[in-house]
This record gives sequence, structure tokens and C-alpha cells, in this order.
Amino acid sequence: MSFSTQTPTIVVLKEGTDSSQGKGQILSNINACLAIQDTLRPTLGPFGSDILIVSSNGKTTISNDGATILKLLDIVHPAAKMLVDISRAQDAEVGDGTTSVTILAGEFLKEAKTFIDDGMSSHLIIKGLRRANELAIQKIKDIAVQIKREDGFEFRQLLEKCATTAMSSKLISKNSTFFTKMVVDAVLSLDQEDLDEKLIGIKKVPGGGMEDSLFVDGVAFKKTFSYAGFEQQPKQFNNPKIVNLNVELELKAEKENAEVRVEQVKDYQAIVDAEWQIIFNKLEAIANTGANIVLSKLPIGDLATQYFADRNIFCAGRVSSEDMDRVIKAVGGNIQSTCSNINPEDIGTCATFEEAQIGGERYNLFKGCPQAKTCTLVLRGGAEQVIAEVERSLHDAIMIVKRAVSHSEVVAGGGAIEMELSKYLRDYAKTVAGKQQLIITAYAKALEIIPRQLCENAGLDGIELLNKLRSSHAKGELWYGIDFQKESIGNNMKNFIWEPSLVKINALSSATEAATLLLSVDETIKNDDSQDGGAAGGSARGRGAF
Amino acid sequence: MAQQVPDLSNAIVAQDEMGRPFIIVRDQGKKQRKHGIEATKSHILAARSVASIVKTSLGPRGLDKILISQDGDITITNDGATILTQMDLDNEIAKLLVELSRSQDDEIGDGTTGVVVIAGALLDQALELIEKGIHPIKIANGFDEACKIAVEHLDSIADTISISSESKDTNLLKAAKTSLGSKVVSKAHDHFAQMAVDAVLAVADFERKDVDFELIKMEKKVGGPIEDSSLIRGVLLDKDFSHPQMPKIVKDCKIAILTCPFEPPKPKTKHKLDISTVEEFKVLQEYEQKKFQEMIDLVKASGANVVACQWGFDDEANHLLLANGLNAIRWIGGSELELLAIATNGRIVPRFEDLTADKLGTAGVIRELEFGTTRDRMLVIEDCSNTKAVTCFIRGSNEMIAAEGIRALHDSICVVRNLIRDSRVVYGGGAAELTCSLAVTDAADKQKGIDQYAFRAFAAALDTIPMTLAENSGLDPIETLSALKAKQVNENSSHLGVDCLGKGTNDMKELFVIDPLIGKKQQLLLATQLTRMILKINDVIISGKDEY
Repeated sequence: MSFSTQTPTIVVLKEGTDSSQGKGQILSNINACLAIQDTLRPTLGPFGSDILIVSSNGKTTISNDGATILKLLDIVHPAAKMLVDISRAQDAEVGDGTTSVTILAGEFLKEAKTFIDDGMSSHLIIKGLRRANELAIQKIKDIAVQIKREDGFEFRQLLEKCATTAMSSKLISKNSTFFTKMVVDAVLSLDQEDLDEKLIGIKKVPGGGMEDSLFVDGVAFKKTFSYAGFEQQPKQFNNPKIVNLNVELELKAEKENAEVRVEQVKDYQAIVDAEWQIIFNKLEAIANTGANIVLSKLPIGDLATQYFADRNIFCAGRVSSEDMDRVIKAVGGNIQSTCSNINPEDIGTCATFEEAQIGGERYNLFKGCPQAKTCTLVLRGGAEQVIAEVERSLHDAIMIVKRAVSHSEVVAGGGAIEMELSKYLRDYAKTVAGKQQLIITAYAKALEIIPRQLCENAGLDGIELLNKLRSSHAKGELWYGIDFQKESIGNNMKNFIWEPSLVKINALSSATEAATLLLSVDETIKNDDSQDGGAAGGSARGRGAF
Repeated sequence: MAQQVPDLSNAIVAQDEMGRPFIIVRDQGKKQRKHGIEATKSHILAARSVASIVKTSLGPRGLDKILISQDGDITITNDGATILTQMDLDNEIAKLLVELSRSQDDEIGDGTTGVVVIAGALLDQALELIEKGIHPIKIANGFDEACKIAVEHLDSIADTISISSESKDTNLLKAAKTSLGSKVVSKAHDHFAQMAVDAVLAVADFERKDVDFELIKMEKKVGGPIEDSSLIRGVLLDKDFSHPQMPKIVKDCKIAILTCPFEPPKPKTKHKLDISTVEEFKVLQEYEQKKFQEMIDLVKASGANVVACQWGFDDEANHLLLANGLNAIRWIGGSELELLAIATNGRIVPRFEDLTADKLGTAGVIRELEFGTTRDRMLVIEDCSNTKAVTCFIRGSNEMIAAEGIRALHDSICVVRNLIRDSRVVYGGGAAELTCSLAVTDAADKQKGIDQYAFRAFAAALDTIPMTLAENSGLDPIETLSALKAKQVNENSSHLGVDCLGKGTNDMKELFVIDPLIGKKQQLLLATQLTRMILKINDVIISGKDEY
């Protein structure tokens, strides 16, 4: 009761700093991740649904892409953020499988939770998970099917199948034959050495059906802002000469903030003439190169527009720099920062140039480019959100095809590879003594979440199908997975549900890494934002990790 | 102790080992979340209510809506796209429908109401199937298959009509009339249809089967009956001659089209001229005078008798122009100037020194129109050397009618354009939908599995169009529909539709109520696509508005 009996609190951390620790901390982190996993689960697989997210600024996104959803959810919980990071990493690395990586990580943690509850040291669990992961990856490498690249036709088939599998869960699954061709064409048109997918331009034009989308083996970009006189320019060329500039073609002050002092009235005209001379010299130099098309990153003013119109030259100013880069890649030549000294080798060309109407927009199309290391996909669709989702789906498919080009090894999807790994790990676990056995078995069980969730989303009986799968894998059927057509199980290798093995390897290792990382964290110390002061910290104290 | 548990259905909530909830997602208390079948159902209800708003505007007997914007501007229209755009909807799904009709508008320009009605009906049917326990994505898959069959069927029944570049082409005229049928201008039906056909034919490129809409301009002026609307084969400028004493009509015009102002040229660089003596001042004044005279001389030398200038000029220049017998127009906008240049085959000239005779535009006549007592004037430039630029000049007794007239004309111009692009047509009045519905129903029986249900639902959704048409025309929808269906099957004819105007026959071929094939196909494809998108959503997360 008296003050003397109370030990004064020793303040180590600044007021308002939130800290929580111990076993409880691990468990609450796991719970946070499970909540995220729960949100994503319904989106997995060909019968996965979409999520509509309205952000605080009123922008609507409808998506099925794990990485996109997680990014838009605006997650603040530090542990849950980890899941966002791995899905983003998966997106950056392989582009697809972002949902499965999150679901797997969540499932590993869920299995680990029971062990933590039982008082097993988290380090033992981590060790077990890592071991299981190594084994699983080795197994994928062992059983992956190598596709012969020599046979061009067969190779293309492989790519198309991978693309189809990647699209199966998306809005465009019904049009996949149309889009796979587009995607494979796009990737194959790239430089096969470095496969820079940034060179695949994607343009969105609302209106039209999805199958009205176009593949342009060259560059397409929207008509830029134009001045009077533009309509008098020719809009179609065969084998044009294309000059790409980074010069502003406009009658203007040559130097900002400069001032001319005119001493005498007669000098006045001289200055005016001098300014005109500068711009005319530029225009003349360009016209003398014999160019038919002049593109510039900077504005092309009305004077220049009319000058070009008089000489049957097409021009477009304010071309965005990505478009310009792709034009250069496609037609050859270089960007010129001056109008003098344009050498013939700096001028690009292509088979045909045309300004065409696509939906409500006018587009500049450069087709049949000699050095076509680039291409453009013009996407159409009924609503902006539709096109946005098509774009995301195509991005996934493009990344998958790209991966398949560089690593031509595939495994069967639809839960087949996960079931095989699970069976392998269970068998292996029996040969291990000690606690590791439990953990490897748990890992094996966690892998089954993929086929189980696939069934659940499609409204199939997960337990029954899973048992069927287990028994067929036990009989040595390597590639049996869920077959949605027959609502049963089937050989997915034969059904051409293929995925590059790299996607699976990457998904498994990042999910395991995220899980182990979370398990090894047993304390969070969080500094509150300085403006909130101690009040917010006080109320949140003890509430898990926040 | 009762714990304070937030509403668990609302947000993503996790609990720590003590069962206390904690926050994972920013502002999660304010986020709204809807989940599973409930979400799908509420979306369908939202879409249904939007569709029911535009439903009554469908067809020739469809009614108009009054829309009052926040600023109190009034729009009266029965154009689906316009109604939806101006309704300023808040619901996310409703917004999707707005975009749907807008993209139909962008692509085809007509049938914006129909597409929304079909989408609404499809969703309505889907709701019943969901209640039966069918997976939404399976429904969507079935709809897709059914849509494919319907589109194939449309291809097979489409008739190719002959079109020619003559303005008396009856097929084009009739098609334009069909699209005008439902609009407010229907009393000047023939007149507008003729205008639309003439306008498109004037600018159409039959080789490329392309029509450049930028060459067709629409102008409106309130006052005067709607029948006074006319097509001007040339350019209409909402300007007058710069000096009131200039002659009101100029014939055999040679037009100098300038983008430089009528004043002494100024350097673009910042400059300063110090004048210290009276002599210098006089020199400056003389210089300016001389410049004006030079400009006028240059214009005269080129042989021009009209000057069209993008910029303005002061009274001194104006006076000089008048004194030299040059008519002038000032402050012409960039795009109008361009149109003028194209129409008159002139070149836009950036400075006086560049003026030559071959850069001048030529036009037969320029005259000033005066309207009523309002002293409003407009300039009409006609008999241009290039006929590929036309202006549709719409009159109307009030702003609303004139605006609706423009929209109606735009729709019918789109129809004519679509026919030039692709001359295949199907029959309107719900005939096309009916025959598709029959085809899909036939195909349904051949389907194995759940798709059967989706096929039947798709067919039922297609029936909504003729039913709505009948309803809007004051007929008994169910009776009409069943009679028509029986007739189509018995007579094996795909051009029987709803006789909305009481003409006494159901044969749409006879009445020549046609729709371009591409427009109909687009409607079905877009509506199915959107239905799929909406059915696929089962989770909605809406961020709360920031309260701070």
C-alpha cells in the first residue's frame, strides 16, 4: 500500500513504444497471416472468384491476381506484410503463382502453430521446414519434364499450354485460345537472349469485345496532341523513313529568361527574322534527310506541323518516352537531340505506317519492322476494369511464357505436383527419426492445401477427391491432379495443364522462407508515429503486434 | 468479462492468443466487406435496378428521361449511354454498366440501351440459377457458350444489303430511319435520315470502308423548328466578319488562312526597346504603319479576298482590311481553322512572307447567316473545293431539343457508317433476339450437364428485348412474345419482330427495320462479358471514406 513497496518502473524504451514478445507473439503473427490467407483463398484456380476492391480514393479494381489484391488491401500488420512481400517477389521473379505462394506460406504457418502450441522450439520447426523444402525442390527437379526446344512446333505447343494454364483462373479463360496465341507471339517476337518484357507494349482501348484485341508486330501508340494542320498530313506510308527526335520544334525563345535589348527600331525586324531562321533551319535539316515521319518526345508546334504538312511529312510530338524507346527498338535508328547532322543510319524504317481508328481512339501503327524486337498488344473490352484485369492476366501469362522459354522444364498443374511432393515427403518422413519426422509430415500435409482449395472453389467434394488423389499417387501415378472438366481426377500432364517448374520451385522456396522467418520472430518493437504520441500506443499495448 | 469484439463480418480480423482482436489492415473498422453469394446477389440487384431505369427507353415507343445535373442543367434524352453517364451512379456494379453502354457507344454508336437491358436480364437469370445452387463461374461459362451459339446464328441469318454511294440509296436511308425511330426528332424523320446519309456519304471512303467522323461537325443553334436543321456542305463558323461594314456575302472566295496575328511581329525572346527621343518614337510608329501596309500588300499580292485568322487584330488593322476590300474573320479556333483548310484545300500559313497564290483556299461562297432578332451571326462557307467536310446544323426550339437532335443524328450517322463498314444486317424489332433465343434453346437440349440451365437462362434473357419492346409499345408482352415465337418457328422465318408502331405486320424485312450485324453481335458479346465479370466477384472490400 505504501510507495516503498512498489518498485519503480524502469523505463527502457521511449514512451509509446509498443513491444510484445514470446510465444504469444509468434502465435499472433501466425493468426494475422492466416487472416490474409483466408481472404485470398477463394481466388485460387480456374473456378476462383474475383475480389472487388474500392480504394479510399474511389478507384475500383476487380482482380483475381494475388499480388494485386494484397497490394490494394493496404496491410499494416508487420507480420502480414511479409506475405505481401513474398507475393510481390513472386510476381517480380516469375509473374505468376502469387496466390499460391501466399496460401502455401499461410498453410505452413498453420501447421507450425500446433507444434508451437505444444511447446516445440521454433528453431526445430524451422530446421524441419527447411529440410522438407530442400527435398521438395530436389524432387521437382528430378521429375520435371524437359521439352525439346529443337522442334519449333512442339516448343510453341509447350508455350501455349503453359500460357493456357496461367490464364485458366482469369477472366479471359474462355478466350484463352485467342490470347495464348497473342501472348506466345509477343514473347517470341522479343529478343530471345534477354527477353525484356517491358518491350511488349500494352495499350488499352475501351470498347469492343475482348477478342477484338490486336497483336501488332511493331509499335502502336495513341495519336498525340496535334496542332492545326495535322489533318492535312498524309496518314499512310509504305517503307517510310522515320526520324526520332528529342527536340522541341516550336517558334520560341531560345533561352529562358534571356532578354534582348533592342537599340534601334530597324534591329527589331532582324531579331524576329533571326528567330524564324532558327526554327526554319531545323525544319529544313529534317526535311532534307528525306524523312517521311518525324517523331519527337517534345512538342512539335503548329508552325512545324504546317511546314511538314506542306511537304507530305507526318509528325507526332510529345510521344511518351516508353513509346519512343519501343519505336527505336522496332524501326532502328537513334534518338537525335539536334536536327543537324542526321546521318542515314540514324533513320529508321518499317514496312507500313498507318494512322488507324481503333474504337474511339486513333492510333499510330508501325508494322512490319525490320528489327522487331518489340510488339504491342492492343486490348479491348467492355469496361475499363475488364481491360485492366485482362492486362494483369496477360502479364502473368507473358511472364510464364518468358520463364518457359528460358527454362523449358514443366510439371503438371491442378494440384498434381503438390500431391506428388506430398506423397514423397510422407514416405521420406518415415525414414527419419525424432521430431523432424513430425515436421516433414506436416509440410507434406500443408502442400495438400492447393488441390483442396481448388476443389473447394469449384464446389467439388474436396475430401473425396483428395483421397482419390492420394491413392492414385500411391500407385505411382505421377501426374494425377484435379480435372475440372470431369469433376474428378485425371492425368494433368496428358490434359496439358502445364506449368514451368521454376514457378513451383520459386513458390515453394519463398513460402518456406517467409514461414521460417515469421517463426523466428518472437518480439516486435514498434515505435509509434511521433504525432500520435503516447495515447494511441497506450491503448494498443498488449494487443499483439500492433 | 465481455470482450469488445468489433463486427467480425465487416473486416479482416485476427485474434491473438488471448482472444483479443488486433488490426491487420489499415482503417479496417471503416472498411466494408461483402462476401460470397451475398455479394453476388447484391451486385445483381444493383445491376437490375440500373437496367430497369433505361428499360422504358427502349424502342420506337420508348420514353425520354429528364436528367438534372448538379448545376441545374437539364438534359432530356432517351439515349441509354447519355442517361447512364449523367446519372452519376455511386454503386460500383452500376458504374460497370455505365461503362458497358459507353463502350457500345464508342464502338458502334447505337444500341446503348439494348446492351444494358440484355446485361441486366442475363444477371437476373443468373440469380435464379445461383439460388438453385449452381456455381456462378459455371453459369458464366455456360453463358459464354450460349453467346457463341447466338453470335454464330446471327452470322448465319444475316442478310447482305446492297449499298451504294448515291444519296438516294434507300437501304441506307431506311436504316438511318430505324435508329431515329425512338428519338425526339422522329417528326422530322425523313429529313434527319437524309441528312445523316448525306453527311456520311460526303466523307466516306468507300475503298477503305472507313468514315472519318472528325470531318463531320455538329453545330446547334436554339430557335427555329427542328425541320430547319440542314446539312451544310462546307464549314460553319460561329463567327462573324470582323468589321460590320464588310459585305455579307463574298463569292468566289480566295481565303488566306493565317496563324499569325495582324500586328508587327514580335520576337519570342523577352525584349526591351528603349526610346529616348521623339525621333525614335516616330520611327517606331512609321515602322508599325509600314508593317501593317506590308501585310495587307502581301495578302493582296497573293490574290486573296478573304482572310481567316487564328488570332485577333486591332482596330487599325481592321480598318485597313476594310479599306482594301478584304473580308476578314478573326479568332478562329485551331480545329475549326484546320477544318476550314481541309475543306477549302488551302494551306495554313504561319507568316505573311509565306503567302502565295497556291496556298490559298477556295470556296464558292461565304455568307453571313443571321438568326431572328438576336443578332447572332454565323458564317457559312460553301461550295468548297474539297467536299469532304460537312457540318450538320441543328435547330431546335430549345436547348434540350437541339442537344437531343445532335445525339439522335449522331446515332443514325453511326448506323450508316456501320453499314458502310459491313453491309450485313439483321432485323430489328426484337426479331434478331428472338431467333437467337430459339437457336440457343434448341442447342440447350443437346448440352450435357449444367450448361443446359445456363443455355435456357440465356435464351430467356434474350426474350427480354422483344418483351420490353412490346411492353413499351403498349402491347401485352407475354402474348406478343409467345405469338411471335410460334410464328417464327412455324414460318421458319428469322425476320419476325414486334410491330411496335402498329403497322399491321410483323415482318421486319417488309417494314425494313434493320440493325447492322456488328452492332447486334457487339451487344451480345459485351453483355456476356460483363455478366461474367460480375458473377466472378465474390468478395468486395470498400475502403471507408477518410473522416479527417
